Amino acid sequence: MLPLSLYGRGGWGVRGRVAIAVFACSGIAHADPIRTWGGSDKPVAPTPAAQSTPNDHAAPPAPPPSTIGTPIGSPGPDAPAAASSAGDTEAVVRSPGHVGLRYALEGIEVRGNSATLTRVVLRYVPFRSGDTIDVDDKEIELTRFRLLGTGFFRDVNLSLRRGSRRGYAVMVVTVVERNTMVLNDVWLGLSADAEPNGAARPLTAYGGLDVSETNLAGTGITLGGAIALADRQLALRTRFADPAFLGTTWTAEAQLVYNHARDFFGNKDVLVDDPTQQVAQDFAVVTYERFGGSLGAGHDLGVSTRIFFDYRLEKLDASLPLAASDHRGLDVAPIDFFILPGTSVLSTLRTTLIHDTRDEPVLPTRGDYLTLIGDASLTPLGSDYPYAKVQAHLSHWIGFSWGHVLKLDGFAGAIFGNAPLFEKFYVGDFTDFLPDRVLDLNFDRRVAPNLLGTDIVETRYGQYALKLDVEYRIPIYRGTRSVYGVDFFGSFGMYGVADADIFANPPRGYSGFAKVPIDLTFNFGLRADTAIGGFLFGVSNLIGFLPVRGVAQ
Amino acid sequence: MNRRAVALFLLASFAPMLGAPGEAVAQTQGPQPSNPSLLPTRRASFAWDKTLLRAGFSFRDVIDKPLSEKLSSGLPNVILMRAYVFEEGRAEPVALAVRTCTVTYDLWDDIYRVKVSDPNGARNVPKINVDGVLRECAEAHDLPIVDRALLEKGHPHFLGVLVEVNPISPAMLQQIRQWVQRPTGSTGISPGDALFGSFVGIFVRQIGTSAASLSFRTQTFTP
Repeated sequence: MLPLSLYGRGGWGVRGRVAIAVFACSGIAHADPIRTWGGSDKPVAPTPAAQSTPNDHAAPPAPPPSTIGTPIGSPGPDAPAAASSAGDTEAVVRSPGHVGLRYALEGIEVRGNSATLTRVVLRYVPFRSGDTIDVDDKEIELTRFRLLGTGFFRDVNLSLRRGSRRGYAVMVVTVVERNTMVLNDVWLGLSADAEPNGAARPLTAYGGLDVSETNLAGTGITLGGAIALADRQLALRTRFADPAFLGTTWTAEAQLVYNHARDFFGNKDVLVDDPTQQVAQDFAVVTYERFGGSLGAGHDLGVSTRIFFDYRLEKLDASLPLAASDHRGLDVAPIDFFILPGTSVLSTLRTTLIHDTRDEPVLPTRGDYLTLIGDASLTPLGSDYPYAKVQAHLSHWIGFSWGHVLKLDGFAGAIFGNAPLFEKFYVGDFTDFLPDRVLDLNFDRRVAPNLLGTDIVETRYGQYALKLDVEYRIPIYRGTRSVYGVDFFGSFGMYGVADADIFANPPRGYSGFAKVPIDLTFNFGLRADTAIGGFLFGVSNLIGFLPVRGVAQ
Repeated sequence: MNRRAVALFLLASFAPMLGAPGEAVAQTQGPQPSNPSLLPTRRASFAWDKTLLRAGFSFRDVIDKPLSEKLSSGLPNVILMRAYVFEEGRAEPVALAVRTCTVTYDLWDDIYRVKVSDPNGARNVPKINVDGVLRECAEAHDLPIVDRALLEKGHPHFLGVLVEVNPISPAMLQQIRQWVQRPTGSTGISPGDALFGSFVGIFVRQIGTSAASLSFRTQTFTP
């Protein structure tokens, strides 16, 4: 069903920011994009939400004849009479110059909701019995879109009917429910990892899935789960969210986390002291498990801005080599695995601020997307990892009059203290030539491609990260049915990932510019916006499998 | 500035004075057909009122049964008609006439309160049934279109007509889009993603610019 073949962010593969009604897609399969009159001269179709279709098959009505002036030509013998008819009775206008009417709201009826609870529907209706309602109030139309925006309904209509006495009215909210099981994300790709004994493997596959039921038992509560799989690696997530916790405007969220993960350190020919492994091997392999969860609350600060607070508590169990060392520049240095051996505890508080003014989620043409995240480890409350982490990510889209789109993207992050490895900045998340981490699983043992020949090759995880990226998109297809748009894109960026140690104690063998741990990244391919979500088809991950500057990948 | 530009400028300038609501005025700045001559043809009646071209045509078929029933919902429904004047063979319009009809069914007086804004001005016209509403709002009768001086003499012209029911103003559309659009996390599942899954993005796609629309061209006339 899904065009899944291959992916990696920037990879030859597919990554879906996918949204799909798993079974019944009737509400979206024929969804039309924002319609214009300029793209083609076919008559514009109505929106599915309105469920109305002009009667295109019937013969068009004949024009009324002119009653003023000199007619030009003949409109045809079947022309209707000019405007004067039984329907044109002039009545007394109650409020001359103003058509808007006001009623006392006697009640609100919800119809068509077999699965969704009435109170869930009413949560999005800002009117209450006793209110005076103005039929011209824009809140009425917004209420319809607010309900559609929940994703629970295929169609929503509002109307009024007479109340029990003159001047009173009952608001009727009629909904058509839709399937609310959605597929949020899909990951499939190729990576290069290592055997448990540290021997390099050229190629391995990974994949994952993120699914949610967004209207659990009609309560409006989201229950979701995600899984990511690779060789000897597994990540599981279970997620719960109540968008109106205890009837308030706050969102409450909870999540369970389980990861059985591996990670790979070194750049070939590491020395490992581990009774269970051979003495000499290509890579040092770390195995660890995470189990825990988080509780959070979120609140809208405006139309485009939201804030979240999350508390996380996890238990970690790590199995590390007794000792390991690797080449670092011209020297041999011990490897820091960034995780405590045996059992440890991670406890953090996170604050997330999101400001989003994009015009579309998949192929934006204008607007901004800003994310600010701050983490603080709660060491006094038992966390074994004292650290703080701050991240800022801003994307800005500029649409040109000729239809092309430019995206400017900047990311900066810093970690102060000793964060566990899955919280540190990983080079693969910044270069397009390596797969991203999925649910915090790292699938790849390779180092950065090092196109600039710097000491970025000595860094796998860093405390500091910076990335500047430019992307240019050229629309090559616009559709109205299952595929809404396909754009060719090309991106180019520069990034740097560094540990504090690389500045305080730079590796020997690098001089001048090569001592700055930065590298270039680029990607090109297609971005597609479809009825089941957005897809990216890139080629850089494939390029990443090619050796660069003699570095054996 | 050529005369076409002048005509469009004047029409756009005078539309507010003719009583068109602000939202409807914004709609007059909507898209124009890139190749209007390819639109399906519908017959219209044309007449010269001295130097003023008047036209009559019907677009009742834009109101289907569900929309017809919606006219009685007690809430306002807007029927917006834009008639562009094109010279045959040219893609840029010479002139534009706009007509907006706002229909609100009065629950207790049992009549349809219709507010019409067009080049003739703004007026309130009560109707007792849907047929009367459609006659007023889904037909153009002697609609003032353009002065003869603005047309190329001896060249065939036609009208390109776009009708929209309950159009959404660009400002409101943007507001709605921002309102319903929720970002997703960088790696899929994470706090903050749960409620705002990208499925909502699909809804963003479903927001049309109107509940129903219709476009057609007329036969040509030669000034």
